Amino acid sequence: MKLLGRLRAIPVSYRVPFSVALLMVVISAAISERVLDRLSRTQESFLAGLVGSYLDGLSASVLPAVLRGDVWEVFDALDRSESSYAALSPIETVVTGIDGKVLAASDPKRIPTYADLPLHYLTRYGADPVTLDEKALTGFARRDLMYQGQEVGTIHAAFDVSHLFAERREILVTLLVTNGVLAGLFALGGFLLVRRMISPMRVLENHMRAAAHGSARPIPPSEFPSRDGEAASLFKGYNVLVHAERERADLAMQLAEEEKLASLGRLASGMAHEINNPLGGLFNAIDTLKTHGTTPGVRDTSISLIERGLQGIRDVVEAALATYRPERSARPLAPEDFDDVRLLMTPELRRRRQRLACSVDWGDGGAKSIEGGPVRQALLNLLLNASAATPEGGEIGLHACRTNEHLRIEIVDQGPGMPYDSIVMLTAPSPGSVVRAGLGLGLWMVRRMIDELGGSATVASRSEGGTAVLLVLPVRREETQDEQSHAA
Amino acid sequence: MPERGILGSRSTTRREVLTLGVGAAAYAMSRSGASAQDNTFRFGLTPVFLSNDLELLKLLRDYLSSAIGGSVELVTRRTYQEITALLVAGQLHGAWICGYPYVQFKADLDLVATPSWHGKPLYQSYLITSAGREIADWRELRGDIHAFSDPDSNSGSLVTRALLAENGLQSHSFFSRTFYTYGHRNVIRAVASGLAQSGSVDGYVWEVMLEIEPRLVEQTKIVRRSEWLGFPPIAAPKSLAGDPRVASLRNALISMPKDVDGRKVLALLRLDGFVKTDPGLFDAIAAKVETVRRFG
Repeated sequence: MKLLGRLRAIPVSYRVPFSVALLMVVISAAISERVLDRLSRTQESFLAGLVGSYLDGLSASVLPAVLRGDVWEVFDALDRSESSYAALSPIETVVTGIDGKVLAASDPKRIPTYADLPLHYLTRYGADPVTLDEKALTGFARRDLMYQGQEVGTIHAAFDVSHLFAERREILVTLLVTNGVLAGLFALGGFLLVRRMISPMRVLENHMRAAAHGSARPIPPSEFPSRDGEAASLFKGYNVLVHAERERADLAMQLAEEEKLASLGRLASGMAHEINNPLGGLFNAIDTLKTHGTTPGVRDTSISLIERGLQGIRDVVEAALATYRPERSARPLAPEDFDDVRLLMTPELRRRRQRLACSVDWGDGGAKSIEGGPVRQALLNLLLNASAATPEGGEIGLHACRTNEHLRIEIVDQGPGMPYDSIVMLTAPSPGSVVRAGLGLGLWMVRRMIDELGGSATVASRSEGGTAVLLVLPVRREETQDEQSHAA
Repeated sequence: MPERGILGSRSTTRREVLTLGVGAAAYAMSRSGASAQDNTFRFGLTPVFLSNDLELLKLLRDYLSSAIGGSVELVTRRTYQEITALLVAGQLHGAWICGYPYVQFKADLDLVATPSWHGKPLYQSYLITSAGREIADWRELRGDIHAFSDPDSNSGSLVTRALLAENGLQSHSFFSRTFYTYGHRNVIRAVASGLAQSGSVDGYVWEVMLEIEPRLVEQTKIVRRSEWLGFPPIAAPKSLAGDPRVASLRNALISMPKDVDGRKVLALLRLDGFVKTDPGLFDAIAAKVETVRRFG
């Protein structure tokens, strides 16, 4: 299993030629086995034929001598047959008589005449006409000498069969070399062919990898395969997907922008109201000044009223500017941003007769890695949602706490609880399905801010009722260290 | 059936077989002789002869044809007995036989000539064994498997049996087993290969083969040399004593060293020539026959 796993880890462009080579080796092994088997059968039948004719010839020439017990004639026949049957390479031939004793052997010094035949000569034969002893490279055969239906003697013969095994070895080596070269060529061919075949897939794979890292690009026409219809249609499909994704992202951006504008509209109307309120007072003060400007007490009071009214308008305008002017939104988050958010929320809170409980525990220094703009926009969205969810006359909360590692921001409301889709949007690892459904674009912008800053969000129900959304944004260590060193 | 005949020969005595063989051969020859041309000179060769060297046979036939005049047929057989039978029956005009058959059928045969080897018409019989065997006396051959050349051979059988008889021994009890190879060269082969532990062989053949086939003969060594005995002679049937071609044969043999072709034949045979000898040359062999008859 481990090996299989490792094999799977090998790229397909190597795995396939390797498999082809392996297959070739298996096939060649099977073919070699068949060829050698066939060869050995042919050799054995050829040898059996040769041995048969040797024994036939020898039987005919020794039979009369065996009948007479003529030792010399038997030996002479054996001696002459050695040169006559050189192709068979007889090693030793022994002829026994009717009593089973040796009449003559081709080498009488080894097997003396009139001696008993050694026992192993009788047991060395198998069922086949020729028994092969591969270790000794020797073949054995025997032939009973029959005369008038009776056995009058036996020929025991041993042959040198080393040439048969040498031939088999030679053919095995030839097969191995040929098949090895063929397997190598097939493997190389397979490697090149598979590389060529899967090269479009590699292009697709590279694009998909890039897309997984956030930069989905369509495959340019120059990288399209010229003939491969299947791969080309895949490429086209991929490009359609990329275009669709881009369109969807554009649409989402557009929707987010619209949402932003919508919230801006709401805020603008609130702001207009906020500006309008002091304006009435201001005009009254101006009228008072026109009429009773000469009276020092009235004049001072009116001017003071006008000054305070204008200060209120300036605060509102500054908060709006800080939130919606891009050059300002790029600066790092600061405690003042929370004041701005609170100020921007004031008209909406007043409209709904709600209170905002706000606490900011910022400590020393700033948070350079956290851009102020997106956070303010996100907090504004979350607070607007919290306000909308909380009944009129209720209370919402904004609590921020900055430590060396994190900035924790909690937004609480007194609403009936956050919808499931909204929770998914904020907390799920991939909120794709909810985003695609076009739900909660304001929350989607919050989510984007969290992801971009590498933070996280949790949504919890409060025991006293309502919902608490907790954002945890990382503060980079070096910047806190910088701050500490600056402070020191 | 021939096999039956072969089996049957095992149970009959040598003498009976010889007589039977002579009769059968004579009958066979008389039938074949009817169709043969009358003027063909038929010359028999026993296996005492060195080998059935075709070159030698051709040279000998050609020489005899030119010397005797007319065609010459060389007749060879496997055993001495067959040639002897044909000769005694008058089916051969002459034959190179062994001294033992000669003394056996002395009454029916005329001595034509005797080969001369190293200047004398004499040779020896050797008792041989394998070259690697440590042996000091022929008595140590007791219990051997012994190879004889031919039952009717002097040097290849009779001399050894006579030696044993002189010592109160018999071949079948002295040796564990004996067999016949029907050729002196075969005795040397049997001993060299180990088929037999010892053998009785023609000394002339052994010495000449030592020159021709030293690798074979050097695998054997001589245990005992016999006394010098009459060399296997060329004999003719007494019944053909009047045939002038027998006299021509004698002349041809004796004058062989004077002829170019004759010298070639002699060179191949390693002989000096042929000499006219007295039948008394073979008395020693006759004595051995008598010894064997009496004690063997």
